[in-house]
Amino acid sequence: MKASKKNNIIAQLTCAALALPGIVQTAHAGRVEETYNADFQYGLYSESDNRIEVNIFEGALSAPIGKAFTLNVNLVRDVIAGASPVYNQKLNGKVQQLISGASPNSSCGASICEQRDAISSGLSYFFDGGSVNLNGGVSKENDYLSRYVGSNLSLDLNKKLTTLNFGGSVSFDEIDPSVSPWAHTTANFGRIHEDKTSQNYLLGVTQIIDKDSLFQSNQTFSYSHGYLTDPYKWVEVEVAAPGFSFSLPIEELRPREKFQWAWLNQYVRHFGELNDAALHLDYRFSMDDWGVDSHTFEASWHQPIADGWRIVPRVRYYSQNSADFYQPTFSGQLTSDFRQLAGYSAYSSDYRLAGFGAFSGGVKLIKEITDLKSINRLSFQTGIEFYDHQASYQLGGNSSGDFANFNYYLFTASFNLKF
Amino acid sequence: MKIFNVFIVIGAVMNCVACTEVLPRQRGNLAWPQMALTPDALEFGLRQHTSFSKEAGGGGYGGGGGGCGCN
Repeated sequence: MKASKKNNIIAQLTCAALALPGIVQTAHAGRVEETYNADFQYGLYSESDNRIEVNIFEGALSAPIGKAFTLNVNLVRDVIAGASPVYNQKLNGKVQQLISGASPNSSCGASICEQRDAISSGLSYFFDGGSVNLNGGVSKENDYLSRYVGSNLSLDLNKKLTTLNFGGSVSFDEIDPSVSPWAHTTANFGRIHEDKTSQNYLLGVTQIIDKDSLFQSNQTFSYSHGYLTDPYKWVEVEVAAPGFSFSLPIEELRPREKFQWAWLNQYVRHFGELNDAALHLDYRFSMDDWGVDSHTFEASWHQPIADGWRIVPRVRYYSQNSADFYQPTFSGQLTSDFRQLAGYSAYSSDYRLAGFGAFSGGVKLIKEITDLKSINRLSFQTGIEFYDHQASYQLGGNSSGDFANFNYYLFTASFNLKF
Repeated sequence: MKIFNVFIVIGAVMNCVACTEVLPRQRGNLAWPQMALTPDALEFGLRQHTSFSKEAGGGGYGGGGGGCGCN
């Protein structure tokens, strides 16, 4: 049986979901979803070498209100356990990561035991020629609180062949590191409490090219200021003293501002002769004033198989260069309190600020059922993805060694109900 | 790569030499679920969250949402 084609074309001109559990925009101009929509997803994220493991439980509900409004709500819980690299040590000329170890008082048997709960909601209003959306949410962990509000505007032009998208959001975050051997402390070795504010803006255009293809191009701008340091990361410093040298770890320090720009281009093409398969191609370039440029290439093939089944293989390649203030280990002089690196305004050995590349590949299976009496459509999805992070995968090469290499797999299973 | 992006945008949108008039009755193919820019929003959100936590690059996909202490 053919999968449901009841979705109006306008529903497909979407500028995609927010990066973190927030609002999913199911349509822009001309409200399309006249049904209620319920989703539930389970995810399992698991890193190599017994590092981080996260169980994710998420639910979302969307409801039409009156003639022109849609309300949606999203709830998510992440249960996080495991260990994480703290800093790099240089032993006998070789660099290796020091991974956080479990403390005797650990509630889950690992060095990191955390739970993140988030709720977000959005209201969309559809008018002739466009739509406007207001959204907001809260995300809470033991050591991190984030609250945000945002708004999006979509305008249809050119007989609805072209859609312009404008978005903006601001987030107010509070950081209170949990008591742990590696948590940063104040000058008096007390617990720290810090704030961070982030603004994000989007300018985008979606264009129907012909009856089988469309294209989206987005530019995003983000500016963060406040406490941008990771309060659990340290750096090793080799200090030269007269006649000998010694190494010791000190807390990392990042700039208090960051500006990032990204440009994403997405192309989608329908192949009627291949059972209505679709090809998705994405390329994104990003750069920031910490010196990190990145390239992301992603391709997926959506192939309907008989009777409501669809299979979606996907590949992705990501590459970034290192931040200006990143080094695997440092050498220099310390300030008089032995807690900061003298002559540096910022320094970090966080593996996520190093130069590296990552290949990932995955496959997803979808089953749609549309012949149920009281339910418009029920669909099930399950997928698995494997991601491999290696320094040597960086575009242009990287000879810094394999000490920070790791991989993870991500399993997802979900169902969606339209009623 | 940035120059390549510029030409893609100009060619497909501004000039639209490749764009044809697509009447409403012809837009059926574009309405397939697999033709949506984000066919599975929850899975997309989870993958974006994972990338945000493990990579320094980011952006482009819209919105900002909130932050997290993701390690």
